[in-house]
Amino acid sequence: MDYAALIVACASGDRTALKTLVDAEGGRMQGVARRMLRRADLAEDAVQDAFVLVWRRAGQFDPDRGSARGWLYTILRNRCLTMLRREEREVSTDAADVDTTPLPQVLASAYGGLDETTGLRQCLDRLDPPTRDAILASYVMGHSHGEIAGRLDSPLGTVKARVRRGLIKLRECLS
Amino acid sequence: MTERSLETLIDEVVLGLASDSDRARLDRMAAEDPELAARLEHVRQRFAPLDDTAAPIPLPDGFWSRLFDRLDTPDSTGASRATASDGAMSGGEGSSGVVDFGEARARLTRWRRATYGAVAATVLMAFVAGWSLITPANPVVVTLLLNPSGDAVALVESAPDNTTRITLLEKPDVPGGQVMQVWTKPDDAGPPVSLGLLSDGTSGTLATQGLTAPEAQQLYEITLEPAGGSPTNLPTGPILGVGRANGPVT
Repeated sequence: MDYAALIVACASGDRTALKTLVDAEGGRMQGVARRMLRRADLAEDAVQDAFVLVWRRAGQFDPDRGSARGWLYTILRNRCLTMLRREEREVSTDAADVDTTPLPQVLASAYGGLDETTGLRQCLDRLDPPTRDAILASYVMGHSHGEIAGRLDSPLGTVKARVRRGLIKLRECLS
Repeated sequence: MTERSLETLIDEVVLGLASDSDRARLDRMAAEDPELAARLEHVRQRFAPLDDTAAPIPLPDGFWSRLFDRLDTPDSTGASRATASDGAMSGGEGSSGVVDFGEARARLTRWRRATYGAVAATVLMAFVAGWSLITPANPVVVTLLLNPSGDAVALVESAPDNTTRITLLEKPDVPGGQVMQVWTKPDDAGPPVSLGLLSDGTSGTLATQGLTAPEAQQLYEITLEPAGGSPTNLPTGPILGVGRANGPVT
């Protein structure tokens, strides 16, 4: 599927093109958003917002400058991060909406889901497990340094330094 | 910026660890620098396989029709605040895509909105009327902060130099190890900026530098943050009270 052409068509007001994108990627995007936000209702809001942004910003998309599919996910991830960092998380909700999968399981399934032949998987393999989990928790679940520090029961500064060292190793390994 | 700190910034933006302001800064830089944009894209591609490890979940019924309805209503979402200043490839919300706290919540608690407004207007009128008689200072804006139940919890008076007096109207429930932090959004489309901490849990006056003079409709809020203030320099904790500024009746 030619995502770039569909985004360009959105820029000219073609709703069918947007619908095609929704049908092709909406389910996966809902999965990504639910994993980060841990709630089905918020995940739907995030995916809706992301597609509204795709629609409005389609004219700014430049196919020469990057992956069209990646563009969709960057918009979605940023929207989820904003919701995680900003919104009041006390609003009551149906228990059925809340994803209670334990965090280690979420991380293990993300890590395990990476193809073993990819560079990312091979280089993550070389990190010590707490550092790897910290990096995975930030990307996969949108955890902040503070949340990672709380979970590892380590000082914030230590966690920031550890993540940075891990990222340097990852860069060196991947380059 | 050193090469290493730039690389760290790119990584942290892609991972989601960077602050909104750092993310916006990198998006701005990338918009003007194709080489940097390419590096950012490269790092995004590097981590993108992790997105594919999320199992797809069918979209809820009616998803498309709800989305369809929103396409023509520019102000129905904070998501519409995107402007051309965002980098073309950034895909980021940039500083202009920040959704304000009240608005985002309102989607879930729309029914409360009318109550908020009515209570705010009434209490505010009472306060402005009383206050103007007893305070010599001339605040340029006055903001009543309401908690999520719609109760008035604080009155915020802001002078042109952003000296900000916070009068608590309810005894706050601040757990041990936490502190009240006061925020405002000088630019409605930008990130919240800390005005300071109410460390002793009581009313106080905060002074801050470098902000533009407050205006009507500017957002103010108080959140609960870890002792010492938010580790991210952006609100992380629950909102104790939030409101938009009004110019006092003169």
